[in-house]
Amino acid sequence: MANALEQAVETVEPDTIESLLPPEEGGIFAPETKPESDPASEPEFGTDPEDISQHPPATLHGRYLIFPAMPLPALDSPTAKAYAVEDRTEPKQNLFALVCSPMQPTATHVMKKIREASITGLLPLLDYGPTFWSPLGQKCMIVVFQRPLGGRFIDSFGKVSPHLSEYEIGAKYVEPLLKAFQRLSGMGLTHRAVRLDNLYYMDEEKENLVLGECVSTPPGHDQPVLYESVECAMAMPSGRGPGFAGDDLYALGIGMVILLLSKDPTRKLSNDEIVHGKCDQGTYPFLCSKERIPLQLIEIVRGLLADAPEERWDIEAICRWTEGQKAHVTQRKSLLKAKSPYMFMDKEFYSPRSIAYAFSKNIGEAAKAIRGGKLDAWLRKALNQPEMADSISALITLAKVHTGKPEGSDEILISKSCMRLDPLGPVRYKDFSFMPDGFGEAFAFEYFRKSNFQVPAEILARDLVGYYLGTLPVQSSDVSSQLKTFKTLNSFAKLNEMGFGMERCLYELNKTLPCQSEFLRLDFVYDIESFLPTLDTTSSKADQQARPMDKHMAAFIATHFNQDIAPHLKALCDPREETSMIGLLSLYALMQWRMGHEHLFGLTEWLGNLLQPAINTYHSRTTQQTIAQEIPSLVRQGSLPDLFDLIDNSVRRHNDALAFKQAQFEFSQAESEIQSFVGEDVDQEEMAVKSGEQATAMTSVIVGMIGSVIIIFVMIL
Amino acid sequence: MNDQAQQSKATLLTWILLVGTFMVILAGPTMVLMFFGLLPTFVAYIIDRSEGKSAAFTVGSANFLGVFPFIVILWRGENSYTDALNITTELVSMLIMYSASAFGWLIFMALPTVISSFVLIMQQRKVAQLRGLQKELIEEWGASVAALVEQQHSSDQEHHLEETFKKPAPR
Repeated sequence: MANALEQAVETVEPDTIESLLPPEEGGIFAPETKPESDPASEPEFGTDPEDISQHPPATLHGRYLIFPAMPLPALDSPTAKAYAVEDRTEPKQNLFALVCSPMQPTATHVMKKIREASITGLLPLLDYGPTFWSPLGQKCMIVVFQRPLGGRFIDSFGKVSPHLSEYEIGAKYVEPLLKAFQRLSGMGLTHRAVRLDNLYYMDEEKENLVLGECVSTPPGHDQPVLYESVECAMAMPSGRGPGFAGDDLYALGIGMVILLLSKDPTRKLSNDEIVHGKCDQGTYPFLCSKERIPLQLIEIVRGLLADAPEERWDIEAICRWTEGQKAHVTQRKSLLKAKSPYMFMDKEFYSPRSIAYAFSKNIGEAAKAIRGGKLDAWLRKALNQPEMADSISALITLAKVHTGKPEGSDEILISKSCMRLDPLGPVRYKDFSFMPDGFGEAFAFEYFRKSNFQVPAEILARDLVGYYLGTLPVQSSDVSSQLKTFKTLNSFAKLNEMGFGMERCLYELNKTLPCQSEFLRLDFVYDIESFLPTLDTTSSKADQQARPMDKHMAAFIATHFNQDIAPHLKALCDPREETSMIGLLSLYALMQWRMGHEHLFGLTEWLGNLLQPAINTYHSRTTQQTIAQEIPSLVRQGSLPDLFDLIDNSVRRHNDALAFKQAQFEFSQAESEIQSFVGEDVDQEEMAVKSGEQATAMTSVIVGMIGSVIIIFVMIL
Repeated sequence: MNDQAQQSKATLLTWILLVGTFMVILAGPTMVLMFFGLLPTFVAYIIDRSEGKSAAFTVGSANFLGVFPFIVILWRGENSYTDALNITTELVSMLIMYSASAFGWLIFMALPTVISSFVLIMQQRKVAQLRGLQKELIEEWGASVAALVEQQHSSDQEHHLEETFKKPAPR
């Protein structure tokens, strides 16, 4: 099951060609389209209606019933499946739920904010939470939405390609979505899933257009390359990051172009060709130079599709446009483009950004090309960028100095060269590319995919993000904040101890990622409040001889528990089993006490069975037996603080230590006495004879004195 | 050290002579009787090589017990040198006195053996009792309760080895 889900995640990014073909060719405009993938690898989220008895409905917060036997494919997201929902308190509500894949991080922090606010122009999110989903046999994040009664926006056009005229597009497309963007921007959020197949009509009259969901995957993950700005398009889907409002507006602009043209102008191009086209020509010329955009919309389309973030229209500019006011025109910078092409792998490249993208896809060839010197000449002569050429030369020299070491590898050389060639592009290392604010999600994805931290660990160890942030043309406060964050992550990664390491980095960067420990992975524990209760519940199924602690759990607790647990983590790392066990017990006891969990019977029993090494730290066997006998009564109370107090009571320890010292002294005294009788240097018989003679002498003297007295009495009296 | 011992011996001898002279002046006849009567005691003191002079005390006590009645007779009579010498020349009197000392020797030869056997038995019982106590301590506190003893034992061994290999100090 898990393997099937992994494969499904890998095929998430929709292919531009298939997804945007006209309906007759099976594109996204078709009534029901699915990304082409191996049917065997599709996750079995749903079941046949006949299997309803095998997969009963899931319950969310005791209120919402989600039916595995009632899928709603028309409302599916690319990586989350939709199912019918019944609200027990308001049965007449039209709802649906998305069951998110447990093999990828979800935007839980966004869910929380959206649920609390009622955002016009956004699909209403009613509730969310982890719930057991029987088709998968584990807990998953389930999100409940209000069902859009008008269906998908693109489906409203029937078999015809979606189209809005220049007179309709403002009122029917831009303005309804603008309200959502305004509200999200005010809350400090971005949507990052703005695309035509993610728009819905809430009403049957198809007048209330809203943005679809944006919480089931990492930001930008499900977006086709066409909808992403140049920088984000070059990053891997999981590493695109939340970005800023301009990224949503860019996607809005792309949607406008498709609606105005009734087609995708890049429908016959591959993703790489789209990226290269945007890099070399700029988005607007690349998409629209051979198309006819209505005159009154050229300004807004140009503005929304501006590649430079500072030139792109913001929400205020769109508002002015919708009100008929003139937008503030920013001076457009010309694209950095050479007069003559640079040849790499038999292809022509005109911009350093495009070259960086190609290099990142072909590291071996790129390293040869860079070391060959032709790039240097091209940068100086064709592009007139001597500073860029100098920086790359410096990198080549540095790589030569570190030949044979990781710092001198081709991967590092290419990674840093790409940063110099394209300072605003993503960080690229091996096959891992991400925007700095998308590192967390990309990191989590990589872990889900490969179950190891190899590449992210190398990125942190080589301080590639620090280098990247240093090459940025503008050093803002955000950059300083990011540098500080990555410095902290680096310090965590270097410490290979419980509560630190790459596991700590994983949870620090993904605050709502569920704990990936083998004990808790299937139970979707993503907050610290449910940690102990879930561990308590799973204790009945767990191996009672195994310790309920591993690196993931320690890192999760260290990230989320806002108490100082440094001494506990130190004890956990102690090689002595008894100290480590006491450290574990004290940590859980502290957590139970601080979070006010009343009874943890299962966990108390589990830990109670493992405490023998800790009990053995007491010298007195009587004390050990007493403690062992008291454990069952404390297990019945389910109190870890009481159990800890029993095991590590300071008064009892002090008394035990004192009594032990006393016992040692008594033993030593007894031994000395024994040695005085039967020691090696002692002649026992001689000493006995001597004692006998002394006793005889004393007896004689006493008898003599008594006799003398008697004689006196007899003879005188 | 030797000088001090010799000095203390000399001091003791001086006191004995002083006291003896004094006693001869004050109670001459008694001293004469005691001299002849306690001769076995003096001999026992000289031949006894034990540290506490146990034989001397045993024989001396019995000897004195034999001499004392005749001292009382002397005191009840004229308490003169003549009476003292008469007693010392009487065979029966001397026989009684010397028989008492012989009895003392008999006691000294027999009693220590009996008492030493008893002491040995008591020691063995004590050792067994102490071993039992140690066993109880080990059962209660574990083998580490003997750590001090083992430490001391190791320290003694090391000290012994050091002493063995220590070079003599140059003269």
